[in-house]
Amino acid sequence: MKTRRYRRVMAIMLSLTLLLTGSQLTACGGGGGGGGGSEGAGELNLYIWAEYLPDAVVERFTEETGIKVNVSNYSSNEDLLAKVQGSNEGIYDVVVPSDYMVKMMAEEGLLEELDKDALPNLANIEENFLDPSFDPGNTYSVPYMGGVAMIVYNRDVVTEPITGYQQLFDPQYANSIVALDDFRAVIGMTAKSLGYSLNTTDDTELAQVALRLEELRPNIKLFDSDSPKSAMLSGETSIGYMWNAEVAICQEESDSFEAVFPSEGCYLFLDNLSVLKGAQNRENALAFINFIMEPEISKMISEEFPYLNPNREAVALLPDSYRDNPVSNVPAEIIAKGEYVTDLGADVAKYDELWTEFTR
Amino acid sequence: MASRNATQTTGFLRRRLQRAAPLLTMVSPVTVWMVILIAVPLIYVLFISFCSTDEAHHIVFAFTLQNYAKLFDPTLLSIYGNSLLIAGLTCLISILIGYPFATIMANSSPFKRTLMMVFLMLPFWTNSLIRLYGWRSILGSNGFINSVLQSLGLITQPLELLYNHFAVVLGMVYVLLPFMVLPIYTVILKLDHSLLEAASDLGARPARRFLKVTLPLTSSGIFAGSIMVFIPALGYFFVSNLMGGGTTQLIGNVIARQFKEAFNWPFGAALSIVLIIITLVLVRAYTKTGGKMDDLGAM
Repeated sequence: MKTRRYRRVMAIMLSLTLLLTGSQLTACGGGGGGGGGSEGAGELNLYIWAEYLPDAVVERFTEETGIKVNVSNYSSNEDLLAKVQGSNEGIYDVVVPSDYMVKMMAEEGLLEELDKDALPNLANIEENFLDPSFDPGNTYSVPYMGGVAMIVYNRDVVTEPITGYQQLFDPQYANSIVALDDFRAVIGMTAKSLGYSLNTTDDTELAQVALRLEELRPNIKLFDSDSPKSAMLSGETSIGYMWNAEVAICQEESDSFEAVFPSEGCYLFLDNLSVLKGAQNRENALAFINFIMEPEISKMISEEFPYLNPNREAVALLPDSYRDNPVSNVPAEIIAKGEYVTDLGADVAKYDELWTEFTR
Repeated sequence: MASRNATQTTGFLRRRLQRAAPLLTMVSPVTVWMVILIAVPLIYVLFISFCSTDEAHHIVFAFTLQNYAKLFDPTLLSIYGNSLLIAGLTCLISILIGYPFATIMANSSPFKRTLMMVFLMLPFWTNSLIRLYGWRSILGSNGFINSVLQSLGLITQPLELLYNHFAVVLGMVYVLLPFMVLPIYTVILKLDHSLLEAASDLGARPARRFLKVTLPLTSSGIFAGSIMVFIPALGYFFVSNLMGGGTTQLIGNVIARQFKEAFNWPFGAALSIVLIIITLVLVRAYTKTGGKMDDLGAM
């Protein structure tokens, strides 16, 4: 009797344990802790994308101000949101959300309004990047770095020049594309190839997008957001759809890579510095943000990570090799023609269904 | 009368408590631990699976069966089918490799046995993601296998070894094999050799002896191993992401997306409940057929 009950209890316990290990879904990512409890003025807890801020910049900030910086990393906006929502208020001081995530976090009341008097270096930022649609008046955020998703192809394999998304659907490129593992990027690109918005929620348009995706499916060899350039560099794929800095690195490695700003317009992104609500070191946070916008410092960042730098004064200091490379220093007319991803609210379910169908 | 009854009751309670005290002090920490870390989160999962979300992606506590209705979408059904197929293949291949391995291990000298165990467990000290990246560089177009075959002149075009179902199953077997070997090994160790001798004495040939005696006696190990392999194989979305290049979806991939990009926790919770039910059914079948929970718990 006792053993039987014991068995039953164990059966339940065990199945639960198995399940937890089998479906540890939300636990991934997230990075390390938020740095220990800070004592007054001496610290700053920074939560930023991996591979986005050179260590030398952090060291220099500590040298100049005496403020110790605790850095943690994440690899997607959704990881950032989940971590902030699941932690105590003020676990970090400075975070770096992208465009649509600034809007979502501000609406959730997770961001602190910025005191512009403490940010005189905001004057260094190029006019085009200020007062964005996702944060009117830069109430909660200031631009950090930006860029586009674009096409790259291997001239040795692909003989006809590629000019836009259109050609990615051509049956002759079966099994030869690496694309970002990002359903908003891939579905958005497909919508743009039909002349629709990246953010369309119109049902008739989405029905056509679904059909169009069927044509794309045989051409995709793999999805990879972490390092899509690897598949291009190893020759695994001959066409890629990825972030501009990844394309720039491909081109540094070999002359055979051609970069293309799709004629239908690009997927834009702009990452921003924000202060988290309830930040324990608010003044340090503002000092840090202002420090990042110093031309000399911003230049140091672009030298290591060649994204589009919204800091006008920093760009002036950067060498021609950066300024004249459109893949890093994306031209203004490309930006003007591009589109940001927006939060779709409940309609995101439509995209999720399309993606489930597409990758089934 | 009433007061006597009351004293009786308190006396009874005191005696019960005295008897239960050692058990309570010994077991309750574990129970509390289990309740906080396992029962509470799972009850929460069950609870939100009946909720919905609003425009700003918040969970709204309004009862709905909509999440469960969505589970029967034809696209999702084909993904379940795909997942079950991959998990089933993983299980089968793990048995075919794991059973002989466990047999050889159980019949070796203690030194060899330890050595084999070390070789089985050693890779576990490295993160499985890193080991899967290793497989990618072995199987890739310019990877080790294709380079060797091409330089030997056996093939002209690189073989497509990555980013398909084959690669996903390979990755799953690679990551989960020890979970198959260990339960089978435990059962084979406990096998009573006099029964095998009796079978031989009664004229059974080795093949017949294996099928009629050894296999039935070790089937509980196979079943235990299958549970330990099958269930994670349904959910290990990172294996299908890396080895399948994100083009092969498992139930795990769909669930992961609900909790992140799609901001639909209630639907993700409902999908998780499906996995829980599959697990409970399998464990129930296991115990019904005489399997011991201890063999699973040995892990």
